[in-house]
Amino acid sequence: MGMGIGWVVIATALAVAGGVSGVLAMRSERPGRAAPLWMALAFLAQLMALSWRGGLRGQCPLADLGEICLFLAWSLTLFYLVTGSTYRLSLLGVFTAPLVVILQVIALLPGSFTGEVQRAEVVDPWRETHAALSVLSYGALALAAVAGVMFFVLNRRLKSRKLGGGLVQGMPSVQRLVEAMARIALVGWLVLTAGIVAGLLMSSDSFSVHLLVATITWVLYAVLLGVHFIRGMPGRHLAFGLTSLFILSLFVFAKL
Amino acid sequence: MQLVCLGLNHETAPVEVRECFALSEAGLDRETELLLAATEVLEGVVLSTCNRTEYYAVLQGGGGSERLENWICEQRDYSGSREGIFYRYESRVAAEHLCRVASGMNSMVLGETEIFGQVKKAYKRSLDVGATKVVLNKLFQKAFGVGKRVRTHTAIQEGATSVAGASVELAEKVCGKLRGSSVMVIGAGEMSRKTARALQSRGASSVMVTNRSFDKAADLAEEIGGRAVPFQGWEEELTHLDVVIAATGAPHFVVKPGHVEAVRRKRKFRPLIMVDIAVPRDIDPKVGEIDEVYLYDIDTLQEMADQARKRREEQLKFCEDIIREEIDKSNLPAVND
Repeated sequence: MGMGIGWVVIATALAVAGGVSGVLAMRSERPGRAAPLWMALAFLAQLMALSWRGGLRGQCPLADLGEICLFLAWSLTLFYLVTGSTYRLSLLGVFTAPLVVILQVIALLPGSFTGEVQRAEVVDPWRETHAALSVLSYGALALAAVAGVMFFVLNRRLKSRKLGGGLVQGMPSVQRLVEAMARIALVGWLVLTAGIVAGLLMSSDSFSVHLLVATITWVLYAVLLGVHFIRGMPGRHLAFGLTSLFILSLFVFAKL
Repeated sequence: MQLVCLGLNHETAPVEVRECFALSEAGLDRETELLLAATEVLEGVVLSTCNRTEYYAVLQGGGGSERLENWICEQRDYSGSREGIFYRYESRVAAEHLCRVASGMNSMVLGETEIFGQVKKAYKRSLDVGATKVVLNKLFQKAFGVGKRVRTHTAIQEGATSVAGASVELAEKVCGKLRGSSVMVIGAGEMSRKTARALQSRGASSVMVTNRSFDKAADLAEEIGGRAVPFQGWEEELTHLDVVIAATGAPHFVVKPGHVEAVRRKRKFRPLIMVDIAVPRDIDPKVGEIDEVYLYDIDTLQEMADQARKRREEQLKFCEDIIREEIDKSNLPAVND
């Protein structure tokens, strides 16, 4: 595995640095630019690690636990970097970085990456697209869930009038957090839609229960977002919906 | 050549003495010209705000600050006690003092930013009439640089130190930028006016005022460029509001949970911040139990203001370090000589 696994180690160390600098920025009550920078470097290291696995497999590297965790961490980091400016960047890093670290630590556990990799002889492009877009969408949905956790923290502090300290000072406003949660979840849902469409176009013998679960997940997110955008709902309900749906779908996929 | 700062402020002089020395815009020009006409004064800047009057002068030779004080008192026809009223700083101490003033460290509201502009204006006035030369030009430019550095590198101006300011801070924490937001002020007293003004200064575009006496509401609305709303039926406006400020003298709750419950669906459960600055309270605390409502009372606001003041005081040490460092590395004439 050599240098390949080394990139995962480097990416994990960089994500740790991102989390630590985010915490330091929060304590100093001055959101800095260090956390996004560390996360951007972590993103590059993740890319290197993914290209190592992709090179070995000759297809999108989503065949074992290590690859799925790494890909999920990469997509989470990608959406964090792309949509991060919606928030106070460094503080979202405080909430995102730990999740990225956990995913990459799981990937680093012995046995997560299959040692003997068989290079794919035939590649179904729809299957590849389906897998890549599905995991990518989970990155966005994970970030929406992270924003949901941020909302819970902010809401609790504001409701209980614990207004001091860097945590509340550095966070975005309630209104912006609600908008960001919904917007990121919508992006994730749209990517998931494309992933499911790609899944439906796969060769029929490769239809799986995964696709069914992904479709159920898609419907649940559609209902949640539909209610939010059409009827409206308190931010706490949206945050609860996004975090619980994400955890539930992860749990179901893990069981599969 | 000697750099001198002579002045009085809210810490050294009561208001009745400060007003003897306060100068109008026109008076400042004349005072600067007269100051320069005084034989020993080579350069001069006069700063006069509601809380301070200060003379920065470059004197020929040493020991002239006492004569400058006498001259100022004569100009103002001041014959009262001078004991502890004036402060007199020379050379480096005078330069450091100017840096503190420009940074808001010497202001009544610690860290306030208005003083920076006032010092700039005072300097420009003197510059325009040719009352400043090498020493004061360099000194004031340095003080402006230090003022900017202090504000950007410390938290001296962070946090609201007044009830109105704390209300704005909370509103921004809930609604984000207040540009375009709708505000209703219930009650037409002084606190309502201050808070409405503070919200407007941060971009609130639509301000409605309601009061039991419609005339008072109309007066305040006219003053702040808002709209008066009859007290009967004010709750109909709740659908569009982002911020509600309550400051009436009513002995009972004016805003009740039912008022908000009735419009939640229409509001699509948008966050609503309610600030109750009345005693006795105007807003039933149960309103704060509604999911999207963030309710704060006067105690919370006062506590926020106190904490902000404390935090600003804690920053003073860092500000002093910056001033010391900047003056050390500068090569100001009549300061580090």
